[in-house]
Amino acid sequence: MARDLWKHLVLIIGAIIVLAPFYMMVSYSFKSPGEIDRGEGGFFGRQELMVDERCVKLRDPNRDEIAAVAAQYPGKTDRQIREEIMAVAETECSMRPVVFNYSKAFVEAPLLRYLLNGIIVTVSIFAIQVLVALPAAYALAKLKFWGRDAVFGLVLFCLLIPVHAIALPLYIMLAKLGLTNTYAALVVPWTISVFGIFLMRQFFMTVPDDLIDAARMDGMSEFAIVWRVMLPTAVPALLAFAIFSIVAHWNDYFWPRIVVTGSRDLFTPPLGLREFKGDADGSFFGPMMATATIIVTPLIVAFLIAQRRFIEGITLSGMK
Amino acid sequence: MGVVEIDPSVTPARERNRQARTAWGLTAPALALMFLILLVPVVIAALLSFTNYSLGNSGFEWVGTKNYDRLFTRSTYEKMFIATFTYVVTVVPISVALGLGAALLVNALGRIGDIYKTIYFLPVMATLLAMAIVWEFMLHPTIGMVNQTFELACGTVLERIPFFANGCAEGFPLWLGDRDYAIWVICFIGIWQGFGFNMVLYLAGLTSVHRELYHAAEMDGAKSAWERFRLVTWPALGPTTVFVVTISCIRAFQVFDTVEAFWPQGGGPNKSTYVMMFAIFEKGVQQNLIGIGSAITMLFLIFVMFLTLIQRWLVERKVHY
Amino acid sequence: MAGLSITSVTKRFGDTEVLKGVTLDVGDAEFVSLVGPSGCGKSTLLRIIAGLEDVTSGDVSIGGRSVTGTRAADRDLSMVFQSYALYPHLTVGENIAVPLRMRSLSPLQRLPLLGGFMPGSREKRIEINSAVREAADMLEIGALLDRKPGQLSGGQRQRVALGRALVRDPAAFLLDEPLSNLDAKLRVQTRAEIAQLHRRLNTTFIYVTHDQVEAMTMSDRIAVMMDGEILQCAAPDIIYEDPNDIRVAEFIGSPKINILPSEIQAGTLSLFGKPIAKPSLQTQPGLFQLGLRPEALRLTAKDPILSGRVAHVENLGSELFAQIALEGEPIRVTLRASPSDRHHLKLQAQVGLTFTLEDALIFDANGKRHRRAEVFAPRSVEVA
Repeated sequence: MARDLWKHLVLIIGAIIVLAPFYMMVSYSFKSPGEIDRGEGGFFGRQELMVDERCVKLRDPNRDEIAAVAAQYPGKTDRQIREEIMAVAETECSMRPVVFNYSKAFVEAPLLRYLLNGIIVTVSIFAIQVLVALPAAYALAKLKFWGRDAVFGLVLFCLLIPVHAIALPLYIMLAKLGLTNTYAALVVPWTISVFGIFLMRQFFMTVPDDLIDAARMDGMSEFAIVWRVMLPTAVPALLAFAIFSIVAHWNDYFWPRIVVTGSRDLFTPPLGLREFKGDADGSFFGPMMATATIIVTPLIVAFLIAQRRFIEGITLSGMK
Repeated sequence: MGVVEIDPSVTPARERNRQARTAWGLTAPALALMFLILLVPVVIAALLSFTNYSLGNSGFEWVGTKNYDRLFTRSTYEKMFIATFTYVVTVVPISVALGLGAALLVNALGRIGDIYKTIYFLPVMATLLAMAIVWEFMLHPTIGMVNQTFELACGTVLERIPFFANGCAEGFPLWLGDRDYAIWVICFIGIWQGFGFNMVLYLAGLTSVHRELYHAAEMDGAKSAWERFRLVTWPALGPTTVFVVTISCIRAFQVFDTVEAFWPQGGGPNKSTYVMMFAIFEKGVQQNLIGIGSAITMLFLIFVMFLTLIQRWLVERKVHY
Repeated sequence: MAGLSITSVTKRFGDTEVLKGVTLDVGDAEFVSLVGPSGCGKSTLLRIIAGLEDVTSGDVSIGGRSVTGTRAADRDLSMVFQSYALYPHLTVGENIAVPLRMRSLSPLQRLPLLGGFMPGSREKRIEINSAVREAADMLEIGALLDRKPGQLSGGQRQRVALGRALVRDPAAFLLDEPLSNLDAKLRVQTRAEIAQLHRRLNTTFIYVTHDQVEAMTMSDRIAVMMDGEILQCAAPDIIYEDPNDIRVAEFIGSPKINILPSEIQAGTLSLFGKPIAKPSLQTQPGLFQLGLRPEALRLTAKDPILSGRVAHVENLGSELFAQIALEGEPIRVTLRASPSDRHHLKLQAQVGLTFTLEDALIFDANGKRHRRAEVFAPRSVEVA
């Protein structure tokens, strides 16, 4: 028991360092700018009503606007009218910090759009990866044709080329085709997953030939065999590969940063966050942390629920 | 009686042709994409690295090895190499060692250890850019949590340590703004983000170690944890280690997110964090100097290919029982 | 080189009691087998002796010294594992050297490169190398010293495991089903070699197996274990001819002993209602079980005690085993016959069997051997 104690101690210190930024991120997303600056308020912040300065400034009336409503404030000078309007504005622009942070996150930038883009991009990438890789893997694993070894050799060679490494020439090619700032640019370079082909081939090689021969005798075309016979056998590997792919592409910053330069509409979540950071002045740190929390949370929650599959996936991708 | 013997291992010619045609059909998309997305760009990068091309120009000139000369002589690129290699040489050994250590500890604790496994894997899952921004704030010289925590040590016994003594007197380092510390901060964040992945790989490797070997080691007189590690665990993890190190190296070479998030222009104080991927981005995309960007790309590819080939060779040869 | 004592050892895993107060004394240089069916606790007992498991209660002593609290590495024992447990990254020679390196070289001397330069390490290494050579030659694997376990056959790996165990000359050898992974022919050959090894080394061997043939052929004494208890521990011939318990009688001996229900009433022992003997010593009446080994039964035409039809015959060449379905009873008995009786033992042939009363083993209804009932008056009753 005592020997276990020091193991726990070391691991706990490690856990504190590992969790510190998560803690801070969520905590800051609850706090008001003042609390963030001064580093106070515990985890949740005191949630005292704070005033949204921008909201207030927006409602700051100019001369014409004061004149327009002067009738409602009989007997008051312009200055007094303005003060009253501002006082009302302050009350109405007051809210709890957590509400401020999270609502600003969605208002200041089209966060929902970013999240949607994230989903579109990751799902498209995975779907096309499967469409491309599975038939190829089947052909390499089970069909006999004279170029088979050459094709597999090519696959092995391409495993040496990380896509990030050739980002620049890909970017040039896309620019020449006028395809930068499109979903195609975000998705297409990732549609070929040599690793996926490799992994699926390994799995398919373990499927008994008899199963395939039986399907052929039933009249199935090879194409149908891929989807009706081979796919069901490889579901665990496919699941693991899905997790690996979706996580990698949801979190990818480098490639979107290169190909999406113009419209915000195409921003993936990391890009959205980055832009937020770029614009932000000090008081927007809270909303920025709220954005970060929203971006990070889906994968974390999914991970906590399906932990074993996740880790299986990463391990599978590891132990080729 | 003519009984025809059918040898199932010999496919008749008609069947062979049919399979061949289908196979080519099935692999065609993959082949096309491999060619277009992986191979052609390498060739293009190779070619362009010998030119002074910029996007938008109608033509370009061949400049021979001028780009490569620049890479090996200009001080900016010297800093690029230094930054990149410092990062790789720091992050890889430490994150591999931490991954191994965490795996050993977690493995020894059984089911309770699963909690730590989950915690340590969180940074791997979380969007690095988001966490980098959080770290940036935590490392703020005055209002960041890190320096504020260090301040707590002022006036206590810890002030004896030179680091704290200086910090309490003159103020703790500026971290990201400090050219001596910036690269180490990047390394730290890289290790923070990556060691959980290595831990998971090592945990998988540990499950394949035969338990009886530990009993044999005990009977043979191996009494301490260190001896058991040396005699049984470490050798059994050979293939895993090769893999973990290779993957960590390749990921380390590709560091970009943190650098670009913290210093969108310039590559850090005094270019101390001017890593290769950032240089490619800055030169090739932002400054539209495709020639030199391609040259850096080629060098990068060579490093990565080299690493992967070494891994393959090692796995084939040395680590094979 | 020492004797071993296991005193009232109990082992519990959670709620299950795997060993129930086991006591065993092993003499110096004795070869004792622990035999029993799967799950009887023999491997657990061996691991307790080795120190790889703790006792729940009880004591283990080696050479008179209690080692119950001592860890395995300090007990001066060697073990051969069922899976051999060879270090895959070391050569055969290095594998065999491990116990010596661990014990006679200090940690500094064991360092990969620098260790060789430490004072005293050169002499020790030479000593170790010659001990390894000797062990390897004894087991005829001298030519394999530079190979790795992955390049060896099962039989060769087993010898390396043996080599690693005997290189150190420990107080006792523990062997956990070492032959179970070998094919039949190799098993027979290695059996003899291990027995020879024992004679040559003159050290205590404790041998765990589920194969009673191995136990019978190799041991000085056999300890038959079932359900966590040692039913009987004695020399092979005594175990075979004079078992204490019906379970021992049934486990040892191939083919299995025939057990026939019998009764003692009014001083007469009867079998299937037919009186066959009068026990001369006072015996409580009741139901008993009569055990007869296949070789105790004989074919007879005249005055058979049992009769029935031949249901199945196994001709092994040197002998025949026939299963006879008894008339009027749902029981088959196995008979050992010589090849010359072949023509009497055609399938469905009617045969008569007899036996000598002295060959009978009588067990009470609980399975305990009831030797009192086996003493018969010199004059036996006429058999009807």
